[in-house]
Amino acid sequence: MRRFLESDFLYDFLRAPVAIVSFCVVSILVLSAIFAQFIAPTNPFDPASLELMNGFTPPMEPNMYTGEVFLLGTDDQGRDLFSAILYGLRISLFVGLMAVSLAMTMGVILGLIAGYVGGWLDNLIMRLADIQMTFPSILIAMLIFGVARGLLPPELRYEMAITVLIISIGLSEWVPFARTVRGSTMVEKEKEYIAAAQLIGLKKWQIMIRHILPNVLGPVLVIATITFALAIIAEATLSFLGVGAPRTEPSLGTLIRVGQDFLFSGEWWILLFPALTLLALALAVNLLGDWLRDTLNPRLK
Amino acid sequence: MAENLLEVRNISVTFKTRYGILKALDNLSLNVKKGEILGLVGESGAGKSMTGAAILGLIDAPGQLSSGEIFYKDECISDAPEAVRGHEISMIFQDPLMSLNPLRKIGDQLVETILTHMNISKSEAIKKAKNGLKEVGIDPSRLNSYPHTFSGGMRQRVVIALALAPEPSLIIADEPTTALDVSVQAQILDLLKKLCKERGTSIILVTHDMGVIAETTDRVGVLYAGRLAEIGNTREVLTDPKHPYTKGLVESTPRIDSNSFQKTLFQIPGSMPKLDAMPSGCAFHPRCEFSSDICTKKIPPMLRNRSACWLLDDGEL
Amino acid sequence: MLVIIFRRLGQSVLVLFLVALISFLIFRYVGNPVDNLMGQEATLAQRAALEEALGLNDPFYKQYFGFVWNALNFDFGNSYRGALPVSDLIASRLPATIELALTSAIFALFFGVITGIYTAIRRGGYLANIILSTSLIGVSLPTFLIGVLLIWLFAVELKWLPSFGRGDVVQLGWWSTGFLTLSGIKSLILPSITLGLYQLTLIMRLTRSEMLEVMRQDYVRFAKALGLSSKQVNYKHALPNTLVPVVTIAGLQLGSIVAFAIVTETVFQWPGVGLLFINAVYFVDIPVMSAYLLLVGVLFVIINLFVDLLYLAIDPRLRDSNSSE
Repeated sequence: MRRFLESDFLYDFLRAPVAIVSFCVVSILVLSAIFAQFIAPTNPFDPASLELMNGFTPPMEPNMYTGEVFLLGTDDQGRDLFSAILYGLRISLFVGLMAVSLAMTMGVILGLIAGYVGGWLDNLIMRLADIQMTFPSILIAMLIFGVARGLLPPELRYEMAITVLIISIGLSEWVPFARTVRGSTMVEKEKEYIAAAQLIGLKKWQIMIRHILPNVLGPVLVIATITFALAIIAEATLSFLGVGAPRTEPSLGTLIRVGQDFLFSGEWWILLFPALTLLALALAVNLLGDWLRDTLNPRLK
Repeated sequence: MAENLLEVRNISVTFKTRYGILKALDNLSLNVKKGEILGLVGESGAGKSMTGAAILGLIDAPGQLSSGEIFYKDECISDAPEAVRGHEISMIFQDPLMSLNPLRKIGDQLVETILTHMNISKSEAIKKAKNGLKEVGIDPSRLNSYPHTFSGGMRQRVVIALALAPEPSLIIADEPTTALDVSVQAQILDLLKKLCKERGTSIILVTHDMGVIAETTDRVGVLYAGRLAEIGNTREVLTDPKHPYTKGLVESTPRIDSNSFQKTLFQIPGSMPKLDAMPSGCAFHPRCEFSSDICTKKIPPMLRNRSACWLLDDGEL
Repeated sequence: MLVIIFRRLGQSVLVLFLVALISFLIFRYVGNPVDNLMGQEATLAQRAALEEALGLNDPFYKQYFGFVWNALNFDFGNSYRGALPVSDLIASRLPATIELALTSAIFALFFGVITGIYTAIRRGGYLANIILSTSLIGVSLPTFLIGVLLIWLFAVELKWLPSFGRGDVVQLGWWSTGFLTLSGIKSLILPSITLGLYQLTLIMRLTRSEMLEVMRQDYVRFAKALGLSSKQVNYKHALPNTLVPVVTIAGLQLGSIVAFAIVTETVFQWPGVGLLFINAVYFVDIPVMSAYLLLVGVLFVIINLFVDLLYLAIDPRLRDSNSSE
């Protein structure tokens, strides 16, 4: 702990106002999402709690039928926007986290194998990576999503929406992890402690996991942060397009989609508040990730 | 014109960092005479390259020339170094591959440099460029080749040709042979010597290799931790060093004569201090076998125009 | 050098076949074509007959090559929604997407490179820092968010520009263009900015960082040491070396424009192939999906190939398969 407090890292952090502000913003949003159940006045996912008559209430004004006041207004189905945003944040962060974990696991494993075992396996994995990299990850995510939807019978499509979302985003982002880990593995492989481990007779997978893995994890964390930001944006985009979080369990993207429909009829708050929240989240995570990448990059020193 | 082509007077180069202000060069003074080859020798980080960069005003931020002046042909150039770049003072760097623009033919780079400094027609410039290549021993028909098609030694020759093209009176050669094979090294050094003699060009030869110093230079300056430890005629300095550091350097140079076979290689104990952890007084005293009380307290000035060591002080100060 | 070109071509062809394979697999095996075409009430005999007619019982390679052959003849089957030929659907909507993509690309490239060079040369300057800060926003924001906010500002609040559609288009044979009408051009503005903004900031930051990196290189220091003026150094030495990686990556980004067009088209209800695709995903319209993927895949492979060849042309170092060290 002491090492951390005295580290260059903390020093640079405390002197970068951008990093501090972004970190605070991200923390507030994350904490709000985690404690959504306690902060939110209603549960927007529970259809039973919704009163259609509450719909279209402007922020801070009493509803003309029921007289209820909502902090940020309600959407067309009577959902309290404040609660919806909090729960939506939750989905966004959850999907982002799970997708990154998936991408990281897959990428690290494939990278280790490619780097350590080499040969045709390495070639195969790298060719796959190259091919996947020629296409933008959003497209790949959409492709996987579309295929999954096609393969699932209609009844399951709604339930599995979040899972499919996670899988499609995760599968589209594994390549940077794999490439970096592969490079580091190839370097580590030549070092003496690996030769020693081989002499002892450790099996390949033991060497890979117990010895090489801890040493190649450094850059992986930086990539993970950046990928997390990308995953959040990907989720928001897919939800906005209508192929992500469904209407009844909306994420920020879904809410924005709904909001856009009502822009011209004057219910501006349905769009604006979720949009601003997403703006803050995306900006903060990106700035933080950017700063992290710059600080941890030895080349720029 | 005064005897000295270049006079560096008490320059200091400082860097502002989170650890405070670091002095990469501390109160350094030296002269270069017309037509001589001055060597600058020292370990990595001693400040040799920094000296060359300081003369031409090429110090990278956050470093800067914080005090002192540089005089060239009796005029102060330290506040406006751009004026002398090229046609008065030229510089060549260590890695010839990185010094040449990979996307342009060497002929284009030569002609461009010539035309920048001389008001002549393009065809004349091309003629000059061809002559320049001939002088450094490269077939002039290779004007239209790209840098990557040359071998390391040839590339360095191209670099030298480029540095000579604007006809400077002083060339700063920053480790010109370090990246080359030993056999090629000798060729390049001979080339430099020949050019110096034929054209009367002065050269500041920066290197960490004592052998190169011995072979090529007329005078030599020894740098240690940003300060000049010793300076003088090469032969004298190498055979009778007046600074303990120089003595150590000379002794630790591997030799292939019958005397030194079977002996273990001498090493100066310890290592050069980092700029943020400089000892008080003389920078070398922690490693010096002759150090005394005053060495730990006061920085020795250059004494008798030869060495910055309290040993030379016979009570004058 | 020819060897290298042929090798690249060969790789591209291989990837093309792979893309076609994936597209075919989706087309054939995702969902059930017979169900979609016949509905639930068809008898077993009717189904078997249709299966035979569609060639669904033929050996794999025959179906695959049949698919590829059809594709080369621009026959992609019929859409599940409305039974229109997919190729017609795509053809009618292609011009919209292409015009949008082109406008965005030019916008992004032009302003991106200019601001990139400016912020590199005037590093630390007041304006440069402002530009950099705003660019951070451009990179972090999702495309749809930019689009939506632009709509809110310019269409709803200020009422200067239209918020959806292409405006009036002029039909030139098979192509429909929005360039020739005022409403067409007005409609292009917001979507192009939305689509191009991300690319612009990317190109700008790339140009800047490449230029800064190049300006630190020895040959730039050397050129300075030789007395060349900063103009010469910046524009004749630093810039060409900067543009090499910038062009490459910008080219690769062209592909992203096509992908992000999907999002922009959705935001602005722009009647292009992107909107077509997203609707296909939503309604599980397999033939349209697979056709779009095939086309986009081919597009990407061609773009990549083109950029590689361009690189070969610009950087002489890559022309010999071995250069002397």
